[in-house]
Amino acid sequence: MEKKKKNTFKLILNTINNNIQLKIGLIFLAVLLFIAFFGPLFAPYNPYRLNDDLLMAPCKQYPLGTDSLGHDILSQILYGASTSLKIGFIAAMISAIIGVTLGGIAGFYGGWIDQLLNEVMNIFLMLPDFFLILMIIATFGSSMMNVMIVIGLTSWVGNARLMRAQAKAIKERTFIQSSFSMGESKSSILIHHVLPNGIFPIIANTTMNISGAILTEAGLSFLGLGDPNVVSWGQIITAGKAYLPKCWWICTFPGLMTIFTVLTFFLIGEGLNRVLSPKMDANK
Amino acid sequence: MYLLKAEVSQVRRFILRRLFSGTIVVLFSVLFNFVIIRLAPGDPTRLLAGKDNPSQEMMQALRAKYGLDKPILEQFWIYAKQLLHGDFGYSYVSTAKVWDLIKTRIGPTLMIAFTGAVIGLLIGTLLGIFAARKKGSKFDLFLCGISYFFDSTPSFWLGLMMILLFASILKWFPTYGMYSLRGNYTGIGKILDLLKHMFLPVTTLVLIDIPYYFRIARSSVLQTMSEDFIMTLRATGMSEKKIFNKYVMRNAIIPTVTVFGITLAYMITGVSMIEIVYAWPGMGRLMLDSITKRDYPTLSAIYLMLSISVAVMTVVVDIIYAWIDPRIRVE
Repeated sequence: MEKKKKNTFKLILNTINNNIQLKIGLIFLAVLLFIAFFGPLFAPYNPYRLNDDLLMAPCKQYPLGTDSLGHDILSQILYGASTSLKIGFIAAMISAIIGVTLGGIAGFYGGWIDQLLNEVMNIFLMLPDFFLILMIIATFGSSMMNVMIVIGLTSWVGNARLMRAQAKAIKERTFIQSSFSMGESKSSILIHHVLPNGIFPIIANTTMNISGAILTEAGLSFLGLGDPNVVSWGQIITAGKAYLPKCWWICTFPGLMTIFTVLTFFLIGEGLNRVLSPKMDANK
Repeated sequence: MYLLKAEVSQVRRFILRRLFSGTIVVLFSVLFNFVIIRLAPGDPTRLLAGKDNPSQEMMQALRAKYGLDKPILEQFWIYAKQLLHGDFGYSYVSTAKVWDLIKTRIGPTLMIAFTGAVIGLLIGTLLGIFAARKKGSKFDLFLCGISYFFDSTPSFWLGLMMILLFASILKWFPTYGMYSLRGNYTGIGKILDLLKHMFLPVTTLVLIDIPYYFRIARSSVLQTMSEDFIMTLRATGMSEKKIFNKYVMRNAIIPTVTVFGITLAYMITGVSMIEIVYAWPGMGRLMLDSITKRDYPTLSAIYLMLSISVAVMTVVVDIIYAWIDPRIRVE
């Protein structure tokens, strides 16, 4: 038992080492999580504190400068990390749960349920999602909760299609057929055998969705639809836009952090996809 | 195209189903728009009255003028009927017709969106094919890395950085608007002025678009090259160059071209962020203004036009795709 465990661990380590995207992505993720959890401890100021020095260029006292109200940019960026990650994770989780449920049901049960759900997916696929999110947020208010839920509700189709294909394929496998003949109920087979065996592509896609959600939140903030009660990178960029040519530091640093974060999840998603389909492997 | 009779009916069924989905999307969007305007917080008549304490008669008159006193179903019926006539109603803010507001903005937006999309498609596809041919080389790795980077970049932030670099430090291009305000150019001068103003927004858009086309082209070339018939051709001893130019290219280029149609419609939202950065007088500006002033009729009209054009584009592209590639129809 002990030996087998060690082997699995070695195998995972080997896979990661051979997969440059996954390797870099996971290292970046460790850095990000560190910033999100411990960043506030290192922040030199309270992010909401209005310092007396407005629009200060980066200096010893304010490592990344201050904005037009005297907020310390470094402190804001450190606090903003958890906002971005929270929005990304929760929105992606919502879309994963909806996608897996609907996709699993469609693919596993087939027949008219499948046709109906497939049609619903086609329709959702045709809706311009960013604008839909924007309309709903503009109408119902831009709290972080709203943003996460709406992003989750509009981005599940990719997951559902993947899960549907998986469920269809797994349904035909022998071990499922034998479960049928042993009298296991349909819903039990779906939950205990089909979903766990088909979940891997969803994990890769969900990682990508985290990136998408973070970018969407940044875009909403840029349009003035960010949650005014939290610090987010998109809002720092928006606030700094008006002072741009002269006070370059306000926009530049939060933007770089956004790219870093989005890139992290992109790389992990790509890396997982590479593990999934070695045929399309770029680096071999 | 030589199609069997069974295939023709299959194509017809496929087209009908896609048209059906498209119609449902349009109907859903119309209903969604109607509902969201009604659910929007705040009473539009209060806004229109323009006073802190408008009199009852004034509110009544305003409600009657905009048809807000009728039952909800009748309101929807009127709304749908007006839409069929291309009438999107009046803006809450300027009391101008929404269509008049949108009309003047479509041209500039399409100008940037289309130019950017075509240049992005050309460069992205060429780079993608090239990278796929040299798969695993330094060049390929470099391009993949760069494409990850631009994929992760928010378009508006890239725009801001371009302004910082090109307009403030290098001072090569104007950063604001569509024409120089003091210019008064005519003829060629005017066009040159326009091109100068277009340069930064279009470049930003192209940089954001390239990774997308790059990845599609690259992966579809790789996909085609790994297929069995290519192996067979190799076994016949045909030269690698000939296989590539004659067989791989033709199969690999289909997804790129079809995807282009859909992205063109989606692109309007992407473009609008860039427009806002450069104060380009297009739909993006209008959208931002409508959001800040909570001008719901204008917002919903933009949304409606967008969703209808996306639906139409998707259906058209699907049908073309089914015609070109028979494997699609089976699903």
